[in-house]
Amino acid sequence: MNVQFKKGVLELCVLVLLDKQDHYGYELVQKISDQIQISEGTVYPLLRRLTKEEYFTTYLQESKEGPPRKYYQLTDKGRIYLQALLAEWYQFTNGVNHLIKEGVKDE
Amino acid sequence: MNKREFLITLEAELKDIDKQERMELLQDYEAHFEFGLEEGKTEEEIAKDLGSPRGIAKEVKASYHIEQAKGDGGIQNILQATLAVIGLGLFNLIIVLGPFLAIVSIIFSGWIVSFAGIISPLLVLIDIFITSSFELVNLFAAILFCGLGLLLLVAMMYVTKFMKKIFIRYLSYNVSIVKGGMKGD
Repeated sequence: MNVQFKKGVLELCVLVLLDKQDHYGYELVQKISDQIQISEGTVYPLLRRLTKEEYFTTYLQESKEGPPRKYYQLTDKGRIYLQALLAEWYQFTNGVNHLIKEGVKDE
Repeated sequence: MNKREFLITLEAELKDIDKQERMELLQDYEAHFEFGLEEGKTEEEIAKDLGSPRGIAKEVKASYHIEQAKGDGGIQNILQATLAVIGLGLFNLIIVLGPFLAIVSIIFSGWIVSFAGIISPLLVLIDIFITSSFELVNLFAAILFCGLGLLLLVAMMYVTKFMKKIFIRYLSYNVSIVKGGMKGD
């Protein structure tokens, strides 16, 4: 898939993952890159931007091994934003799927 | 590329942005390397999956400078934001540089015309000294141009402010297209 297009979807993926439970950065990156091919480095600036826009709050948690983990938690503002993005996403994918089906039928 | 090379390149590329922001971002990547190493990956593998530090820096810079330009609307910030967005790729070079040059030349010529009008009575004076002849019609025309120049000056102040705002909005719209057009702001 087109790289630029995927970056927009990345935002949606991060929000959806955080809707279920809090995650730390590395965990988020791994979960997403398990499913879709991404440049993992683009996730961190995205997390910072969304935090600045008050969609997330962060807290640090020490772990027995490795560096402390910076967890991201979705705020109410973030949830509202997620709903808006999801609605947009469904509308978009429904449209594309519809076009694909019609295209296939015609052949 | 190993961890050190990745972090050094990224830090160097981000030297223009706010120190605290840069440090925090670098910490994120440093932690990412440590988590990866713990899972048994090599530094080279981790760096490869992260992607090019230059590419990451370009996007960070573009968003950063646009935020700055939105904040104070200073010429320097707008210029930096423009350059940063252009730096994102050839596509941006074409669709940003064109409007940028057009807006700058419109604003520039507006100011020039306005100043020329305002100083035109002065030109009449110079004309009197040089040719030592005086035409009343010249003076009237000059006063008229001066008045029009002053009006244009006031208009240009608003136009410049307005154009700045529009252009900054265009820049951030541009970044959002490049990011996939789902940014929502």
